[in-house]
Amino acid sequence: MTDLLRVENIHTFIGQFHILEGVSLSVPAGSITALLGRNGAGKTTTLRSIIGLLSPRAGRIMLDGREIQGRPAYDIAALGIGYVPEHRAVFRDLTVEENLKIAERRKGDLDRRSDLIFDLFPDLKRFIRLPGGQLSGGQQQMLSIARVLVADNRLLLIDEPSEGLAPVIVENIIEALRRLSDHTTVLLVEQNFRMAAQLADRYYILDDGQSVQSGQMAELARDGALVAKYLGAG
Amino acid sequence: MFDVFRRNRPLLVAVLLVALIVFWMSNRYEPKVTANILLSGLTLGALYFLVAAGLSLIFGLMDVLNFAHGLMFMLGAYFGYTVYANPRIILNTLPLMLALGGGAMAGAAPASWVWARLGAAQNKRGALIVVWLLAGALTLAGIWRFDLQSLAANAATVAGGAIATGQAQEAAGALAARLGLLSGAGLALGLALRSREFGPGRSMARNAALGIGLVVLAFAIVPARISGEAFILGLSNNLRFVLALAVGALGGAAIGALTEVGLIRPLYSRPIYQVLLTLGLVYVGTEFIKGVWGPVGYYMDIPDYFNTRGGDCPSPNLLLWFRDHCGSIDVLGRPFPSYRLFIIFLGVAVFIAVAALLRYTRLGMIIRAGVQDREMVQALGINVQWVFTLVFALGTGLAALGGVAAAPFIGVNPGIGQDFLLQSFISVVIGGMGSYPGAAIGTLLVGLARAFGDQLVLSGVQFPGMETAVKLSPSIARASTVLIMAVVLLLRPAGLFGKKE
Ligand SMILES: Nc1ncnc2c1ncn2[C@@H]1O[C@H](COP(=O)(O)OP(=O)(O)O)[C@@H](O)[C@H]1O
Ligand SMILES: [Mg+2]
Repeated sequence: MTDLLRVENIHTFIGQFHILEGVSLSVPAGSITALLGRNGAGKTTTLRSIIGLLSPRAGRIMLDGREIQGRPAYDIAALGIGYVPEHRAVFRDLTVEENLKIAERRKGDLDRRSDLIFDLFPDLKRFIRLPGGQLSGGQQQMLSIARVLVADNRLLLIDEPSEGLAPVIVENIIEALRRLSDHTTVLLVEQNFRMAAQLADRYYILDDGQSVQSGQMAELARDGALVAKYLGAG
Repeated sequence: MFDVFRRNRPLLVAVLLVALIVFWMSNRYEPKVTANILLSGLTLGALYFLVAAGLSLIFGLMDVLNFAHGLMFMLGAYFGYTVYANPRIILNTLPLMLALGGGAMAGAAPASWVWARLGAAQNKRGALIVVWLLAGALTLAGIWRFDLQSLAANAATVAGGAIATGQAQEAAGALAARLGLLSGAGLALGLALRSREFGPGRSMARNAALGIGLVVLAFAIVPARISGEAFILGLSNNLRFVLALAVGALGGAAIGALTEVGLIRPLYSRPIYQVLLTLGLVYVGTEFIKGVWGPVGYYMDIPDYFNTRGGDCPSPNLLLWFRDHCGSIDVLGRPFPSYRLFIIFLGVAVFIAVAALLRYTRLGMIIRAGVQDREMVQALGINVQWVFTLVFALGTGLAALGGVAAAPFIGVNPGIGQDFLLQSFISVVIGGMGSYPGAAIGTLLVGLARAFGDQLVLSGVQFPGMETAVKLSPSIARASTVLIMAVVLLLRPAGLFGKKE
C-alpha cells in the first residue's frame, strides 16, 4: 500500500512551548489509522500541524509525495484534506444547510454529495433549517463530519468524535465512519479505545509530544500491558 | 410577534429603551417638536451607523479595533467634496496612484516565479535590498516637487464654480514622466513584496493584465485632464453629488484595502501593534488632510434635488415633495430639511443591503462563520485573508460614503472624524461588539440620545420646585450617550446583542 500521508519527525511550537518533539507517522491510502495517547500527549497538535493551523518548525509533511508543511491552512485543505476538530466547532449561527454549503469548493458540491450525507446522517436532513447551535451534541458531531464530506477530500483528520457523547450516539458515529472508510482515508484521534479498536487498521501512540509506538490495531488490542502503559486504563 | 421578543431579550431591552426616550419626550414637548427631535436623531443615527457598521464587522471578523475608521469617514468627505468642487486635484493625483498601484500588481504577479529562480538565499537577500531601494528611489523621484498645495488652493475660493484650468497643473509631459517613474517603482515594490497570494497560474496572468490595464488608464487620464474637469464641473450639482458619493466610497474602500494588505495584515499576530498602528494612522491622516486641504473647513452645497425654495415650499407631504423637491418638508407643522431625510434613507438602504449581503451571499456566509471561528473557516479551504481585505474595504467604504453624505449637513473639516468615531464606538459597544444588528440598534439609540440631549441643552431642564430652567452645557448632550453605554454595560457586559466568547 502507498502512503497517502507521511509525517516525518515534525517539531511544533505553540508560542515558546516546544509541544511536538519529533512526531512521525504514515497513513496508507484507504485505511483508518488511529492516533492514540493520553490527554495532552500532542494528538490535537499533530492534526493541527498537518492541516496547517500550526506550522512545524522542523520536519516534513508529505501528502501524496508532495511537501505541504508551512503552507497556509486554506491551501492545504484545498488539496483535499478535511478536518473535523475537537469539540466539533460547527458554526452556531449558520443553519445546518449553510454549515454544509460553506464547505463547498466548487459550485454544486453539496448537491452531488447530499445523497451520501443524508443517508449517513438522516437527522441533518430533518433539521436542515435549524441553526447549528441548536443541535444536540451528537447531531453537531454528525454535522461536523458531514461538513468534510461535501467537498472531495482524500484524507479526513478526525479529532475525538466520541467525546462527551452518549453510547448510542457513539454507535451511530462508529457505523458512519465504518461506511465512510470505503471511500476515503482517515486519521482518527480517539480516547475511546474500544471505538478505535473497532475501526482502525493501524495505530500510532504519542507520548509527551513524541511518537513512541506503532503497529497493527489487532495486536495492540491484545497487548494489555502496552495499552495500560501509554493509554491508562483503556 | 411576542415569540420574537421571548427568544430575543436584547431586542426587547432596546425597544423598551427607545420607547422610554420617546415617551419621555412626548410628555414634555408638543408632537411637532417630538417628531423633529426623532427625525434629527434618526439622521445622526444613520450617519453613525455608516461608520459603526464597518467598525463592528471589522472587529467581529478580525478582532481589529480600527481607530482609523473616523479618518476614513473624513477622507470620504474630502474626496467627495473635491470631486464635487475641484475635480482637478483628483484628475492630477489619481493617475499617480493608478501607476504605482498598477505597477505593483503587475510586479507582484510574477514575483514568486522570479524569486524561485534566483537560487541561493544570499543572492535573494542582496536582490531584495536592491529592489527595495529601487522602489523607494523611483517613488521619491516620481513625486519630487509635485505641487499638491496649489492644486488644492482653488478649492476654497471657487467651490462649484468654473476654475481657470491652465493654472497649477503640470504639463502633460512632466506628468507622464512621473507616471513612468511611479509605474517602475510599483513594479519593484510588487517584486519586493513577493506575496504568496500571487502564485503562478491563471491568477498570475490575470493580475498582471489588470495591473498593466491600470497603468494604461493612468496614462490615458493625462491628456483628458482639462476636458474631464470641464465635463465634471458642467454637470448639474445633483449628478456631481452622485459622483461624489461614488468616488468617496470607492476611494475609502481602496484606501481601506491598501491599509489592510500593507499595514494591518503583517501584524495579525501582534494585536496591540495593530491598535497602535491604527491610532498612528489617525494622526498621519489628519496631518495629511491639513497639508493638502488646509486646516479650515469647507461647506458642500446641498444638491438642488433637495434644495428648491419658494413656490409651494416647504412641501406639505412626502408625495408633493417628490414633485417640488423642496428644501424642507412639513412635519406636523414644523419644517424639516429634506436632505436629512435622504441621509436617513441612505442609512436604512445600506442597512438592508449589507444585511442581505450577510444573509444571502456566500461571502456573507463566510463572514458570519468567520466572526465565530475563522480558524475553522480556513481549515475548510477558504482563503480568509482575502475575505478580511474585502470586509475592511467594505467597512471603510461605507464610512467614507457616510462622510460624503454628511458633508452638506455638517461640513467638511479636519475635526469631523473624531466625533463620529467616538459616537460610533459607543454605539457598537452598546449594541455588542461584532454584532451587525447590534450596531444598527446601538446607533439608533445613540442618535436619538444625542438629538434629545441637544434639545435639552437648548430648552434647559426644569427640575420640580424650581422657578426657571437650568441651562445645561452642550457637553451634557455628548455625555448622555456615555451614560447609556454605562447603563447597558452594567446590565449586559457584552452589550445588547453581544455574545460571550
Ligand atoms: N495554546 C497552548 N499554549 C500552550 N500549551 C498548549 C496550548 N495548546 C496545547 N498546549 C499543550 O500542548 C500539549 C499537547 O496538547 P494537545 O495536542 O491538545 O494534546 P491531546 O490532543 O493529545 O490531548 C499539552 O501539554 C497542552 O498543555
Ligand atoms: Mg486533543
